Amino acid sequence: MNRPATHLPLGPVAWTVATFLVAALPHLLAMPPVLGVVVFALCGWRLLVARKRWRLPPGWLRLLLTIAAIGLLAVSYGGLWGRRAATGMLCLMLAAKMMELSRLRDLRMVASVSLFLIASQFLFNERLVLLVYLFGGVLLALAALLRIQQLDVNRRTAPGGDVALLRQSALLLVSALPMALALWVTFPRLAEPLWGLPDEVMDGKTGLSDSMSPGSIANLFLDDSPAFRAEFAGEPPPPSQRYWRGPVLWRFDGDTWERAFLPSRTEAPRVPPGSNDYRYTVQLEPHERRWLFALDHPVRVPQDARLSLDFQLTRRNPITTLTEYSVRSNPDFTDMPRLPVTLRQLAVSLPEDRNPRTREMALELRERFEDDRALIDHVLDWLRTEPFYYSLETAPLGRHGADEFLFDLRTGYCEYYASAFAVMMRAADIPARVVTGYQGGFWQEGGQYLLVRNSDAHAWVEVWLEGSGWTRVDPTAAVSPARIRSGAGSVAGGGEGLEWLRALRNRYDRLQHLWNSWVLGFDADRQQRMMNFFGLPNLSRTGMALLMAGVLGLIVLALAWAWLRQPARSRDPVRRAWLRLARRMQRRGLGPGLGETPLAWAERVAHRLADGARFLELARDYCAIRYGDRGNEADRQRFIRAARRFPVRRAVEPRRAASV
Amino acid sequence: MAQATGSRSGSRRPNLLDRWLRRRTRLDLPLTLAYRRIFILPTRFGWMLGVLMGAMLIGSLNFNNNLGLLTTFLIAATAVNSMLLAFRNLDGLHLRHGKARPVHAGEPVEWRMAAINESARDRTGLQLDSGEAASGFDVPAGTTQEVTVRLPDRHRGWHRPRRMRIQTTQPLGLFRAWSWIEPTSRFLVWPRPASGAPPLPEGGDDRQGLRSQALEEGEDFHSLREWREGDPLHRIAWKASQRHQTLLSRQFRRERSREVFLCLERAPGRDLEERIGIVTAWILRAEQQKRPWILEIGAQRLGPDASERHKHECLRALAEL
Repeated sequence: MNRPATHLPLGPVAWTVATFLVAALPHLLAMPPVLGVVVFALCGWRLLVARKRWRLPPGWLRLLLTIAAIGLLAVSYGGLWGRRAATGMLCLMLAAKMMELSRLRDLRMVASVSLFLIASQFLFNERLVLLVYLFGGVLLALAALLRIQQLDVNRRTAPGGDVALLRQSALLLVSALPMALALWVTFPRLAEPLWGLPDEVMDGKTGLSDSMSPGSIANLFLDDSPAFRAEFAGEPPPPSQRYWRGPVLWRFDGDTWERAFLPSRTEAPRVPPGSNDYRYTVQLEPHERRWLFALDHPVRVPQDARLSLDFQLTRRNPITTLTEYSVRSNPDFTDMPRLPVTLRQLAVSLPEDRNPRTREMALELRERFEDDRALIDHVLDWLRTEPFYYSLETAPLGRHGADEFLFDLRTGYCEYYASAFAVMMRAADIPARVVTGYQGGFWQEGGQYLLVRNSDAHAWVEVWLEGSGWTRVDPTAAVSPARIRSGAGSVAGGGEGLEWLRALRNRYDRLQHLWNSWVLGFDADRQQRMMNFFGLPNLSRTGMALLMAGVLGLIVLALAWAWLRQPARSRDPVRRAWLRLARRMQRRGLGPGLGETPLAWAERVAHRLADGARFLELARDYCAIRYGDRGNEADRQRFIRAARRFPVRRAVEPRRAASV
Repeated sequence: MAQATGSRSGSRRPNLLDRWLRRRTRLDLPLTLAYRRIFILPTRFGWMLGVLMGAMLIGSLNFNNNLGLLTTFLIAATAVNSMLLAFRNLDGLHLRHGKARPVHAGEPVEWRMAAINESARDRTGLQLDSGEAASGFDVPAGTTQEVTVRLPDRHRGWHRPRRMRIQTTQPLGLFRAWSWIEPTSRFLVWPRPASGAPPLPEGGDDRQGLRSQALEEGEDFHSLREWREGDPLHRIAWKASQRHQTLLSRQFRRERSREVFLCLERAPGRDLEERIGIVTAWILRAEQQKRPWILEIGAQRLGPDASERHKHECLRALAEL
């Protein structure tokens, strides 16, 4: 009813809205744009309300608008309820809250839930750059809370203005850092999650999918973000051996290659360790799928993962956080020296009514070459000599995809080549399957690790040959050897002028790698190892908690000591000089009484000082400078000097003795 | 006096709290706030943020989300620090000189206290909360501030302020630090003056005790003045009238100074309270008209006098009944 009383001034509202917008920004970027528009519109409108002192809308309108916004969200996400939709909902609810932002506690609520939004963003992305977002967001939120508090104690404007507010909140943040870091290092981690990780794919930002139709990973090639990093114990494999195996595709319906049930559900045979094994640790960026990537052929399976018959390495849960695993791979292993009939049938089956030209050519070749190997070599030669081109810019394929590509289009990238080549092999009755994964990677000299980007995604073919089992054949390598030697980036032609930019990016990735290893990968295991490094024994969770309590106690004590015991330095040098003089007097037992004014004090003790008159003079100067109008710099300096030099001596003893 | 202690509605819990507090510390002014006296609990907003942080913690732990954990811990550490800062805002504050000027019942009591900040830090966003009213104040570094809180009206008599709180929720509003004070110095509430009180008792009405009749005529002769209608015949100064060719009547000192005699027992009113109210109104009126008065309460007799001090004495005597 009482409008002026409930009207919130612009300052606190603006700080709160700014906090919310900054916290919501990454969420908004990942949301359908229309929702972002709604959020921005509501926030802008609220600022206008605060500025123009409009009335807030009535309850029914607020309810209606909120329901409309939620409806919009439901439509935008098409009923896909996941983490993104949940945080989007939270953003929208907070934006809707803008309509009834009328009390102090509403402001506080929005500011603190913004903190929650910041934390929830890290479920999607934990990149190094987001550290800026974290600190920026918390800084703003603290400033907003400080401003709201000032409103709470009935101050309409912030003393010292907004800059002072930011400085104050920065101070709060910096003084919170030691404790936050100590907590972060010592807080007992869960070895097992309490509840299951979500299954659904959220951001559409995924790595390889579990099927392939030529043209589908094109968008991956443009994605320069890291897919994973691998650290090798010993020499890394040469570029021609860097095939990181992902999904293996058996079934082909003419358009799409898909996985097959049997080989992906059967356990792999044990791979014996060899003499040329690669030992490496992979740090996999979250890609919301179950694949782990490994070189052929993993000897030991990382914990919590399984290896299928076609050597796909999968985890039970989708990779939603940065995951680290160690693998040992034996490159010399012979995969399936004998091919079971069922698998053979699976590996040669083709839809009858597709690609007649390819089929015809295959049959013709079959007649010319008795030996599978000779046939394959001939086809690769053919690809090499005929005018085939490697390009990301190509046309989609129609019904007879392999025919169109091999005889007409002749321009494409790995998926086109792998698919067409596999079709040709199958038509020639050679068992073949398509493998997708990553090929190559950038060797970081500085950081000693191999950086594999999403743009390194690749598809190649494996054929089964008598005597050597499943053998990798990469038709793309025949067409564009550069793609294999120096990676996708060199072929796609990133522009030579941007060399320095690439170098900078690589350097940044080294930082990111350190960040991943030391910050994001910090889990129960690493915590334990760190404790061991500091000479502490293996601690139980209780022990860890006790250690944490101890460290925290120490920090709080240190802070309490710093804040409570040390008198803050006064900002005014004149006052500082005066207080110093007062302390010196105190030591002689002539200190000021409680609440005594400087002049009263001076008059009281003057007669007990040897230089009483001078002290009285000083006190008068002090009052004049500090409370009066004698504020010029020369006076101030003179006073400071005089106060410093003033000799605190008691009056001569005999006179005192006489007066007693 | 009856109202002084009975005003606190005593359920059992506050009594236990009272006893514990009293055993713990002295609550009387003057005092210096220190750690034994300062209590801290989260505010409602503090609890809310705590719950939110708990959710963040569990979520981040479950996903082993290290940045989420860092955010949570940053906020938690800030909260702990804000607790220290709230404590610091009170720690070492000196409070003294709690008192209130007497007022009439029905008027709000302005209870005042001096807050002395000897440290070199400003103390801002403090609040003196009497339970019925609160007032905010700041004490800049090295200064003394007078803090006033308006207590609601009380019944006549001596009162002690109820237990009050000095509190602050600085800097973020997450924690409330407070100290109890319970000043033992009393303040006085005078009776409420009756609104429709009859005029001051004078002019021959016996029951209301004008003192003139107690005077022997001829004594205290003071002066002559022109005769007015109503002057008794025996007061006419015949000789003087003859000399001045006009009627003059004799004036006695008592009448001239218009001294008022106020007797509580003989004041109109159905009960004691009403009579007290009327006498209070009379006293105020007499003081306003600068007429000396005598107040008689039972055997006690005050005055005659017209001074401020006399008024205070009389009002106090009435308040104390």
